[in-house]
Amino acid sequence: MSLTEQQIERYSRQIILKEVGGPGQEKLLASKVLIVGAGGLGSPAALYLAAAGVGTLGIIDYDNVDLTNLQRQVIHNTSDVGREKVASAAEKIKAINPDVTVQTYRERAAAANIREIIKKHDFVLDGTDNFPSKFLINDVCYFEKVPFSHAGILRFDGQMITVLPGQTACYRCVFDKPPPAGLVPSCSQAGVLGPLAGVIGCLQATEVLKYLLGVGELLTDRLLIFDGLGLQFREVKVTRNPDCRLCGQEPSITELADEEQAACDLKASQ
Amino acid sequence: MAQTNTSFRLPESIKKDTLSFRQKVKDFLDGQTTPAIFQAYRVPRGIYEQRQTGEFMVRVRAPAGVILPEQAQRLAELSRTYGNGVLHITTRQDVQIHEVKIEKTPDILESLLEVGLSPRGGGGNTVRNITACPRAGVCPDEAFDVRPYAIALAEYLLDFESSFNLPRKFKVAFSGCSQDCALASVADLGFFANIKDGTEGFTVYAGGGMGSHSRVAVKIEDFIPGREVFSVAEAMKRVFDQYGDRTNKHRARLRYVLDRLGQDEFVKLYQQQREKLKQEKLQTPTIHPIISTSKASGQSNSTTTDRSLVEYHNWRRANVSAEKEPGAFTIRLRLALGDISANDLEKIASLAGTIGAGLIRTTQTQDLLLCRVREDDLPFAFAQLSGLKAGVLSAGGPKLVACAGASTCRLGLCRSRDLASAISTELDTTGWSIEWNGQVIRISGCPNSCGHHPIGVIGLQGRAKRLDGKLVPCYSVLVGGKVGQGSARLAEQVAVVPAKNVPALVYDVLGLLQSSAADRESLDSTVADSKEKIARIAAKYSHIPTIEQQPQFYQDFGATEDFSLAGRGPGECGAGVMDVIRLDIDQAKQSLDRAKESTDGKTKSDTVYEAIVAAARALLITRGLEPRKDREIFSAFAKHLIEPGWIGQGTEKLLNQALDYRLGDIADIGHLQESVARMLARVEELFHSLDANLNFRVEPISKKHVDPNPPKDNEHVIDLRGVECPLNFVKAKLALEKIEVGGILEVLLDGGEPVENVPASFTEQGQEIVDTSESNGHFLVTVRRRN
Repeated sequence: MSLTEQQIERYSRQIILKEVGGPGQEKLLASKVLIVGAGGLGSPAALYLAAAGVGTLGIIDYDNVDLTNLQRQVIHNTSDVGREKVASAAEKIKAINPDVTVQTYRERAAAANIREIIKKHDFVLDGTDNFPSKFLINDVCYFEKVPFSHAGILRFDGQMITVLPGQTACYRCVFDKPPPAGLVPSCSQAGVLGPLAGVIGCLQATEVLKYLLGVGELLTDRLLIFDGLGLQFREVKVTRNPDCRLCGQEPSITELADEEQAACDLKASQ
Repeated sequence: MAQTNTSFRLPESIKKDTLSFRQKVKDFLDGQTTPAIFQAYRVPRGIYEQRQTGEFMVRVRAPAGVILPEQAQRLAELSRTYGNGVLHITTRQDVQIHEVKIEKTPDILESLLEVGLSPRGGGGNTVRNITACPRAGVCPDEAFDVRPYAIALAEYLLDFESSFNLPRKFKVAFSGCSQDCALASVADLGFFANIKDGTEGFTVYAGGGMGSHSRVAVKIEDFIPGREVFSVAEAMKRVFDQYGDRTNKHRARLRYVLDRLGQDEFVKLYQQQREKLKQEKLQTPTIHPIISTSKASGQSNSTTTDRSLVEYHNWRRANVSAEKEPGAFTIRLRLALGDISANDLEKIASLAGTIGAGLIRTTQTQDLLLCRVREDDLPFAFAQLSGLKAGVLSAGGPKLVACAGASTCRLGLCRSRDLASAISTELDTTGWSIEWNGQVIRISGCPNSCGHHPIGVIGLQGRAKRLDGKLVPCYSVLVGGKVGQGSARLAEQVAVVPAKNVPALVYDVLGLLQSSAADRESLDSTVADSKEKIARIAAKYSHIPTIEQQPQFYQDFGATEDFSLAGRGPGECGAGVMDVIRLDIDQAKQSLDRAKESTDGKTKSDTVYEAIVAAARALLITRGLEPRKDREIFSAFAKHLIEPGWIGQGTEKLLNQALDYRLGDIADIGHLQESVARMLARVEELFHSLDANLNFRVEPISKKHVDPNPPKDNEHVIDLRGVECPLNFVKAKLALEKIEVGGILEVLLDGGEPVENVPASFTEQGQEIVDTSESNGHFLVTVRRRN
């Protein structure tokens, strides 16, 4: 595969980078990344990954665009309210970069369907808004050995970690299971500042590109915590837990199951 | 005209230059010339703007300090007609006319030309007035009369255009003996008269000077025969020309070259230049001996009254000194701080026309001298001088030399002239009677040393101190400075005291010196011995009271407002081509900064455009061009800077885009900021490389000639001509990635930005640039893949 004149021009600023070059760009164009959730985190991530020329982007989301989404889910416009999120997102991605093949999945991520989708991708970006989905993605990625970027945002805070399944600490190594319902408020209850989604979503996109290019230090075995009010980044060292029920020495989770907990934003996921 | 063997003759080139001055002034007044360009033109012609905007000063050079009576008459007339009616004698023997309007300067210059005078080289980065001992020819201590050499050298150097475009000013002085009344030991080039085997000649010093970084000159020749002053001066001028830092006028004087190179290297370079000059067979002028005359008034029977008889004798003791020829005397006319009214100067001129040598001499202590006066004529002279308004007959007291100070100088911190008056008053009212008939106290209003404080027996240098947030005018007190062949030394600071305490401090210090020094000759050693005692006296005066205690300490002498540094600014002294270029470069930078900050597209484009114009204009003056229309600026820039390869060819496109924008063909050039910044960086690089002759010392962008038929594209050659930055690099990089590590890629590029940027980017990414060669305006860059 050889870059076209237009591609050389379009991607010139990153081809110039020593760490990218022609081979790096070709790798990106040949890569497939799944974005789970076309919401706050998925929006900026999808836009930047499309612009960077990641060849195939999968988008999974069952929801329609709601007026309350627009404050932070920047891939959707006012005129998209009521449309399927995946259709709205696919349209924007194509507009930015026709090089990108978009595959849309208008489905809820569930144990029954997600494994088949994830296994077709090189990397998964978790942009979901609820704990059961996050645990599900973690588990599927472990079974399919697909690396992923986990992230969550609430109010002014965000956190994220990158997981190379079987090699670095997984989500369950750190958090064994979802918190009891009602303990952690959802975005619709507690609120969230829009740019938080942009900050963390862009950091996730950075991790994706680094992984695909094979450059830099991934955010593995480190939980990054962003305090938007104090504007501080903090890191918590984490290690693989030998007692992890998923990836530990005596795993008890051996097949997929949907964790039970209310979704974060009931209104948006009705 | 007034051409005699006793004063210098203006070279023809200066006469021509003077006659073209009127047109230049007219161009400026008509708005055809910018103020900056006009400033660069007028300052080397001795015409400075004063602190008051719109008022100008004309500094007329008087080589060896010799002025003919008719010249003095003319200076007086011009001052009265066009100026403020006062003439000022400088510490370098020039005469200044103050407060004239710029439109009158052509009349003044043409009128001066009629009597053989000119301010050409009175300012700017030029060979300044060539000075000599004020008593040259009559001084009992001198080896011989140095005036013929000083005058001949002035005539010689002033005829070269190169003498008017040096890195900075160049001061030459001739002293008749080692006492150094001409201050040759602190000049850029200083000659000390010596006779060796019956031949007149000189011991030569160079690299001295006073300023914010003063330095005593070093010896460069033990002895040269008199005839060689021309080649010595020309050689040193060339060293200065080539090694002086033209881009920083604060570090441009010859003494910085000496400091930078070290004495050995400095002398070696000078000697190399002398060798070259020998091969060039320098044409040197004839040195005319001065034919001395001595007129008699024929009024030797003039008498004085009994009352004035006492005054006459006091005057004679203080201001009249014997000359080497028995029966001949020098009369010193003591001027307060170098000022003399036009009326008084006319009277002095008429007196000078009737007695003595028929000349007026200016001194480094800002006085006037009448020489070769017969003893019989002294009473007549006394009577005539008594009629003057100025108190030129004052009997003794220490001499005060002061710079213009903060009252008129833009650089000044303290009002040095007002301090001088305050010291005079203090000494007068306290009944001072010491008779050291030489300069004792030298005052500068700031560290630039125009009042020569570094060579003062007592030197005072203005400065500001802050107490509780309020500024206090203060002076550094320095002692022990002196000039002299091989014995010059700079004064050392012993204390810093508030200005208002300085007169009392001076009084106490003089008292100490008076009681310790037997005479003038032992004064230097007395001062050296008394340094600690003086420091103790000074310590007593160094306390600054609070503003509540003594509010007057917070006001300078001669001022009724609290001391402030407001109104200080750059002086005009070094104004020249370099400043004009600097102005354009600064303007381009400011425009670019504004473009960066601007959020409005139109403003951004407009400021980018301004930056392009200023950057393009900056260096044109070095090619002798002063285009004013933007289109002319761009085409001159393309022709004189891009075509010869000084600036990359990519810049031509930039200029075209700028013109398109100006013509409305394209709506936005805000995105060109980076390219303009690169163009400006190259312009600045060229500016910093300018040498004496305004040639660039850096290599042009084109390097060497290669095969005019460039190789065709193949696996290892890529033709990226016509491809813009950074796409050319991207493509070259992609091509290189296809080659194995260690392999070679040849890249054909356009001149300008492409050939500046692409190799640099490769280097940055760890690849090796094997070669860059030029052919017909494009470049072949050979790259080896290293990773």
